[in-house]
Amino acid sequence: MPFWLRLNMFFRSFFLQAGWNYVKYQNLGFALVMMPFLRRLYRNDPEALPTVLNRYLEAFNTHPVMASFCFGAMARLEESIAKTAAVTDYKEQVMEWNGARRGLSITAASIGDRLFWGSIKPLTLLLAIFIWMILGVDFFETQGMAPVSIIYGFTAGAIAFFVYNTIALFVRWQGIKIGYESDESSCFGLTRFDWNRTIYNAKRIGIFFAVGLMLFGVYRFMAGVRVDVNFVARAVLVLFFVLLSFITRRMRIPNVYLYITAVIIFNIVCLF
Amino acid sequence: MTLSLLLLCVLAALLELDTTYAFQLLLSRPIIAGPIFGCLTGDMAAGVQVGIFAELLFADISPLGGIIPPSGVVACALPIILYAQGIDLYFGFFIGVLAAVLYSFCDALLRKTRFNWLIFLEKRIGRKPTDIKRIIAVALLSSFLMTFVFISVLAWGSSQLMFMVYPYITPKAHFAFRLAYMAVPWMGLAALIPVFRLKTR
Repeated sequence: MPFWLRLNMFFRSFFLQAGWNYVKYQNLGFALVMMPFLRRLYRNDPEALPTVLNRYLEAFNTHPVMASFCFGAMARLEESIAKTAAVTDYKEQVMEWNGARRGLSITAASIGDRLFWGSIKPLTLLLAIFIWMILGVDFFETQGMAPVSIIYGFTAGAIAFFVYNTIALFVRWQGIKIGYESDESSCFGLTRFDWNRTIYNAKRIGIFFAVGLMLFGVYRFMAGVRVDVNFVARAVLVLFFVLLSFITRRMRIPNVYLYITAVIIFNIVCLF
Repeated sequence: MTLSLLLLCVLAALLELDTTYAFQLLLSRPIIAGPIFGCLTGDMAAGVQVGIFAELLFADISPLGGIIPPSGVVACALPIILYAQGIDLYFGFFIGVLAAVLYSFCDALLRKTRFNWLIFLEKRIGRKPTDIKRIIAVALLSSFLMTFVFISVLAWGSSQLMFMVYPYITPKAHFAFRLAYMAVPWMGLAALIPVFRLKTR
């Protein structure tokens, strides 16, 4: 695949979800990304393009970063379809293309969701919080937080942004190439990386950060505080919410509803 | 609302596009959007705090399949706009969280509406494949406009409401809202520990 074509597909891949809808999901974005490749492949037969494009407008849904593997693989399979002369071969190739599209998008989504949404995103959040704490930003203080300089305010977010995107952009860029160069024996390049080990390591670092931050938060909470009724009441409340959050998590109730309920219940209690 | 707050709404609508529709570079995550809004309104500390709290609160909801998590940008923009107008951060945050949940329903509605146009759009692409760029541009523009109108109307409406209600809010209600606000980072951190459960190997 020529460099400029790959670059074009890479830039278009940022708009994969632009036309997201509930029936065919990312189909419009998928067609947009594949368009430069298809136009190049069928430049001698422009009348075939609308028919080919119809296949790309079928339902497609995967993780936006991991989708790059699908783009590369679909391009490779499309080349095989374009080369076939016999009708039976053509039908067989199209069926193979359809199966690969469906299977690969599901596999890539599963890896992407666990890796990016389930590991790297929360990990970079903890990293940012950790950096802010090191810089002395006491965000736990809800009554008159000390001023924060612009540099300190942006540093942690910028580092989290950089760390996440270094990995995400690498996968986006390389995924197109690897997907295009690999075949189904290596699941179109997906088996080239040990995703499970990466996710496992990210989660191990994450749990270390999360527990460490909670302990650091408790230390900050306790530091220089005189133990009185007010302090004990606040500590009990925090402990109660930590326990409640564990329970609601098990019940698959998001924290946001726990917070809204807490506001309502506190207001009712304070009212009486 | 002043011009700078209106510009903040435009920026928020642009950042919200990054959540789903364009780029997904995570510029829209609250720990980045919060400080940007805080910097624009002149209180970086408030921006950082709201950013961290919003991200921790929404950390347990991922955009898997068709799930639309509450908007982190909306949850940051509204409290900062209200705070810039003199409303306490804990009131603004509550309104921001409610608005973020409401926004996810509006976004779901937009996606459903897009389906009604899908057959027409597919036919158009079939006739003229190059039109796909225009269709994507229109989809992005409609998302941007919806978010801008949503944030602007809610920011204006909630600030008017708060100005009316604020003198009548009792110290007890202040205490209740502040207490719940104080618990947010602890809830978030507690929810993050199960997120990192080692069940993949």
